[in-house]
Amino acid sequence: MRKWRSNRWFLLAFSMFLCAGLIVTSQIGLLAPVESIAAVPLNLLSGLFNRVALGLTNGAEDFAELQSLRERNADLEEALAQFQAELVELREIASDYQRLAELLDYTTTVSNQEFLAADVINVDTSGFLRTITLNRGTRDGVAIGMPVVTRQGLIGRVLEVSANAARVLLVTDPSSAVSARLQTTRVEGSIVGQLSGNLRMTFIPLGQTIPEGDLVITSGLGGNFPPDLVIGQVTSIRQFEFELYQEAEVRSLNNFDTLEIVLVVTNFQPVDLSIFQGNGEEDAGS
Amino acid sequence: MAIYLSILLLGLATALQSSVMPQIRVLGGQPDLVFLLVLAWSVNTRLQDGLIWAFVGGIMNNLLSAAPLGVSSMTMILLVFVIDAIRRQVYSIGLPLLVLLVIFGSLFHQLMVMMILSLVGHEIAFLDSLSYVVAPTIAYNLVVIWPVYWFIRRMQRRLAGGRPALM
Repeated sequence: MRKWRSNRWFLLAFSMFLCAGLIVTSQIGLLAPVESIAAVPLNLLSGLFNRVALGLTNGAEDFAELQSLRERNADLEEALAQFQAELVELREIASDYQRLAELLDYTTTVSNQEFLAADVINVDTSGFLRTITLNRGTRDGVAIGMPVVTRQGLIGRVLEVSANAARVLLVTDPSSAVSARLQTTRVEGSIVGQLSGNLRMTFIPLGQTIPEGDLVITSGLGGNFPPDLVIGQVTSIRQFEFELYQEAEVRSLNNFDTLEIVLVVTNFQPVDLSIFQGNGEEDAGS
Repeated sequence: MAIYLSILLLGLATALQSSVMPQIRVLGGQPDLVFLLVLAWSVNTRLQDGLIWAFVGGIMNNLLSAAPLGVSSMTMILLVFVIDAIRRQVYSIGLPLLVLLVIFGSLFHQLMVMMILSLVGHEIAFLDSLSYVVAPTIAYNLVVIWPVYWFIRRMQRRLAGGRPALM
């Protein structure tokens, strides 16, 4: 036995076989219960460090930003005066709209979303994947596919869930795609994540107007997210003559590196469209 | 002894990796503490001890990641074998060789992780990843390796009672 253990080729082959076995069993989900239990102490430790690190980072940033905040305060006071004038005008328009809606017997359905607050306890250790872990799991009613938001807008959706933790795929992950539309022009597209932390709105038909600064919201198409969640703001437009679609760079209002508390939308379940895909394939086959 | 120490140190490093290190990200890169600990430990120890550190470190790294368990272990184990092969060819691994190991080891580790993630179905933008994640990570690793290496050397000497760890 000792002879085998000192044989380098045997060790190499054994290690690779073991790792390959782990990757396959983990990928198909067989190790999920073991992984969630083994990750508990690491999550606790990581959550503790995360709280301390965020406290220090925020303190340092607050100090550095004090001077710029004073200047911004003066600018904002000036802007506030302008906005108050606009607000009066907008209230007039809103009351006009209200009256017209009543006349047309138009009823708006207000989506009563239920939120569950959760602490971010760690960020993905791999630089290639953009996920975070929350301290809430199935015990708190969290399920796979639930959207995660902050006051600033959409964060992502729940990818994996254990009893007391949930992993969230951020919208900035390159594999994330969200059906979206522009708030003013109602132009539709798809928001995909970038490793740089920015977002890109793709599949925007040519000829459509994309105003810079316009808000991008979820469209609800595909059933993975509820409509009208804020995603970000258009910062620039990319248009090439030889391409079928145009693209827009979108900046989220969230800082994904310093997330502390997020909200899970617990009363939204993504729509499972796989049944239609199955029927479509059968019809095509017959 | 190596296994208990590895669980303790690599556990702490993994927790730091997923909490403190993202706060100092440049583009998408951050110091890879677990990788650096495994590399620093493997440079001056037996192959078997290095393998334990690589396996435990990789598992812990993947427990706090969406990547499947075993991805990081596989790449770091291969790296430990490469370090062992180099060590048998030279009298000792000096600082210039350590710098080369950090550069090429980081590159190898990151490329392997990208490749395996891609194989198991994750969407990886290779070119973006090289500029946004791999390059800044290598730069960070070149800075952070020195305190890590100093700490590990002191620990190995203490464990070996003042004698070189390999003997």
